[in-house]
Amino acid sequence: MNFKKKRTRTYLFVYRRAPSPRPLPQTGGEGKGEGERSHVKRQTASVLVTSLIAVLMLCTGCLSIPETELLPGAPEDLETCFVLFPSGPWECVHKIEAVIQEGMSSSLLGITKGDPAGRKLHTLLLTPEGFILFEAEQQEDAISVLKAMAPFDSPAFARGLMEDVNLLFFPPQGRPSKLGKRADGALVCRWERPDGSRREIALSTVPKILLRDRHGDLAKEALLTPPFVNGLASQIELLAFKPAPYRLKMNLLSGTP
Amino acid sequence: MKKWARNKILHLCSAMAVAGLVSVMPGYTQDWASVKESFRNIRSVKAEFLQERHLQILKDPLVSQGRFFYLASGALRWEYLSPLQSVMLQKGDSARLYHFSDGAWKQDLAQGVEARRMVLAELSHWLQGRFEESKIFSHVYSPSPSGRILLTPKEGINRFILGIEIVLSDKPGVIDRVEIAEPGGSALRIVFRNVEINSSLPSELFDKP
Repeated sequence: MNFKKKRTRTYLFVYRRAPSPRPLPQTGGEGKGEGERSHVKRQTASVLVTSLIAVLMLCTGCLSIPETELLPGAPEDLETCFVLFPSGPWECVHKIEAVIQEGMSSSLLGITKGDPAGRKLHTLLLTPEGFILFEAEQQEDAISVLKAMAPFDSPAFARGLMEDVNLLFFPPQGRPSKLGKRADGALVCRWERPDGSRREIALSTVPKILLRDRHGDLAKEALLTPPFVNGLASQIELLAFKPAPYRLKMNLLSGTP
Repeated sequence: MKKWARNKILHLCSAMAVAGLVSVMPGYTQDWASVKESFRNIRSVKAEFLQERHLQILKDPLVSQGRFFYLASGALRWEYLSPLQSVMLQKGDSARLYHFSDGAWKQDLAQGVEARRMVLAELSHWLQGRFEESKIFSHVYSPSPSGRILLTPKEGINRFILGIEIVLSDKPGVIDRVEIAEPGGSALRIVFRNVEINSSLPSELFDKP
């Protein structure tokens, strides 16, 4: 569930229950009649409700997102969640459009080679001309940057890029903390990390991979568009919200096991 | 300075391809002075190219196709048609980069544009046969067995490029291919085709993507 959508829904829920302004009653008499006193009461109630809405809206931003309730799933559902990832060694080439801000984007080529068994990754970013901007390898958690041209030469960029590649191409390790189906029938597999963050795979019409921070806020969301070629989605849209927002639109050019 | 050199090299190779392609050489038996003189006869170039990027990580090369247009008066359009659609436009001192996405051309982030501008400035020297002025490469012209220019990087640059070979086609005045060797076994090969020299090119080619 998108964090922003959730906030919007909460707001709408409260809004619908807020009393709508009503016309003044026709007292037709002198002094402060019953109708006028009633109007003052309603005004006071209206102010209180408005304040309550404001408090609720503020608190909605402070609270972590509650987990979606899941109906119990079967053990074999775990394999279904893993269908989004290549099961063996692979290499792939993507056309990437990186959008840092709306109207500010860049076009790149991405090459990734991986081996899920050994948790090995080798990834490159190239200009359309074919020149290497960034190249790194990863074995388990150790990242080695082989080449990095400015502005892709910061350690933060290397960590962020490799986190994205891991998120998109490697299934989470270990047993999921939760496994089941949402009310809409989508199969969900959820893993808790030691730092409190969560990774979630949701198999709905558009399969999704989600990453939430330890507060439950959505940090990254990847939408994978079928068909899958050798375990690789034809199209991926990665939306990053935290710590820095950006969007990657990836089109699979080639993928081989 | 180090970053400047890196950025410069980043787009040097495509520029070298242009330089190679537009080097109209009347014949392989010509001496270097005659070859240089022939550069000065160029008014415009129009061509298509097939680019193969060989990388250690890939079993098969990454193949791109594109075209380019050049005016000796100081304008260049270097365009990729697939797999990415992107175009670099240079006119005078300004260089702009665009990519095509969601049915429209979008200006690319400014990163690299400055480096491209610098490389294009160097390219304009080469197009006039002023190879001696390069601070990055030394050159050797070999008239046989087929005409070619070998460019060797100077100190520092050889960390990124081992050498560049510009091979002339059988047709006088046309380059067949450019091959760039990099450390670690990677290479870039650009093969040119349908080359037209000194044809009329509309100026809007260099203004709009």
